Amino acid sequence: MVNITVNGTQHQVDLEPDTPLLWVIRDAVGLTGTKFGCGIAQCGACTVHVNGQAMRSCSVPIGALEGATVTTIEGLSTDSKHPVQQAWLAEDVPQCGYCQSGQIMATVAFLKQNPNPTDADIDNNITNICRCGTYERLRRAIHRAADLMKA
Amino acid sequence: MNPMKFLAAAFLIVGAVPLANAQDTKPAVVVPSAPQMSHGEYVARAGDCVACHSVPNGKAFAGGLKMGSPVGAIYSTNITPDKETGIGDYTFDDFDRALRRGIAKDGHRLYPAMPYPSYAKLNDDDMHALYDFFLKEVAPVKQANMKNEIPAWLSFRWPLAIWDAVFAPSGKYVPQSNHDAEWNRGAYLVESLGHCGACHTPRGIAFQEKALDDSSTAYLSGANLDGWSAANLRGDLRTGLGQWAKEDVAEFLKTGHNRDGAVFGSMIDVINNSTPYLSDDDVTAVAAYIKSLAPAENQPAYVYDASTTTALNSARATEPGAATYAGTCAACHGNDGKGFAPYLPRLAGNPTVLDKDPASLINLVLNGAAPLVVKGAPDAYRMPQFRGQLNDEQIADVVSFIRNGWGNGAGAVTAKQVADLRKTTDPTSDQVTVLKMR
Repeated sequence: MVNITVNGTQHQVDLEPDTPLLWVIRDAVGLTGTKFGCGIAQCGACTVHVNGQAMRSCSVPIGALEGATVTTIEGLSTDSKHPVQQAWLAEDVPQCGYCQSGQIMATVAFLKQNPNPTDADIDNNITNICRCGTYERLRRAIHRAADLMKA
Repeated sequence: MNPMKFLAAAFLIVGAVPLANAQDTKPAVVVPSAPQMSHGEYVARAGDCVACHSVPNGKAFAGGLKMGSPVGAIYSTNITPDKETGIGDYTFDDFDRALRRGIAKDGHRLYPAMPYPSYAKLNDDDMHALYDFFLKEVAPVKQANMKNEIPAWLSFRWPLAIWDAVFAPSGKYVPQSNHDAEWNRGAYLVESLGHCGACHTPRGIAFQEKALDDSSTAYLSGANLDGWSAANLRGDLRTGLGQWAKEDVAEFLKTGHNRDGAVFGSMIDVINNSTPYLSDDDVTAVAAYIKSLAPAENQPAYVYDASTTTALNSARATEPGAATYAGTCAACHGNDGKGFAPYLPRLAGNPTVLDKDPASLINLVLNGAAPLVVKGAPDAYRMPQFRGQLNDEQIADVVSFIRNGWGNGAGAVTAKQVADLRKTTDPTSDQVTVLKMR
């Protein structure tokens, strides 16, 4: 039995300890905004925050998370008005949209660490994959979000 | 299922992986023990004969595995009881002489790729059981031995007699009265059947293992092999197993992984075919013996340094590898380098990271971890490969960052080291690693 807090709500999870966090979020907790992509921590579609850090939830075992605080895309804001979400809308980033929740969660954690990123910083740190190839729009939106968060 | 069929089936699934890093090999499967494994099969398991005397998708014990040696490539031989191509006409004395002294029935000297200096220590009970297993339980396979690729002028075997006289002891294992029965059982398994030193002990100028028992601290102190660093198994606090408890050693031998990571390199064959089949008592004995090995060097204990974590958390880390770490490694191993034990290993203080020889760490970043299946279940969290995503410079930078971060203090690596390993571990390269003599 593992106790975790997901988006402010406490959950007791009774699953095999090597169950990936992504399975817990989608199947046990029932929040499906976080997506499954590659399953080997490479693509970033499943990115959530664990104790404030961006983690790839497909590759984090629940057994290692006793007492952890998890934030998913659903918990980022109550009104979808988080600066990163606003920047995403303004730049019209999503094409198919599958990678977006992971991209947004990775960006939120990244901007907390680095509020003034250069293009190179973004390329090095946001390693999430977008199969539609919206990288130019992603980069613009990340810069816009950085500006919004400073304002 | 008779034991031979079982072994053959196990082998077909498992395969000995000649290119330790080839990613296209099938997942390694550890098959549950056959009911009532004979004493002889148990000894063959402990000696891991199948690992060298077979090829992937070949018949178990029929030989043919290519191995590099200082004088040219040699091939392991057919040790099934086929009368024509195998050892079917070996008497017990012939068998005993080949295993203990490295002399074949026809009188020719074996190359010491066969670890007869270790097998010399076998006790008579085990030797008889092993003979009975190979002659009565193993099914004969008609498969001619491959010709060794050694230039004619180097192919005389008489100098091996001198090598044997100098380097190969002939005595059986003698229990040491100043140690308990468990320790002595562990020492026997490690020094004789397990022939752990064949990979884990550095070799001298004549390719001999520098020590065959704990009389020298060179014994099991680590060596580079097939593009991996065969770990220092001694008690060194940073670069050895000084941080592992006896239970950590036993868990690794039983399952192929523990809180500090999963098996890699040629050790995969050992996990597939050998140590998980040993009894709990024997595994514990091996662990007790390993834990008794004094450090080869006096090293200060590893102390965690949080400044790397702080720098990563605030994007203030300026080392060239820091950004790559944040973008590709931190999502699993964490900015704190602590991972999620026992599933995702720590990088902070991990003996594989602190190893003086960075080969294993570079190899893992390039090629990822090999598939490992224990008790029928695949591992859930496997290190992916990054050879396609990161260039030599990026890997050198990130490995250097990891080796120096969090108080690791293990030293930088160069892009050339990465480039060399990239070449020899690429399955499509014409310069792939050939198994070295062991």
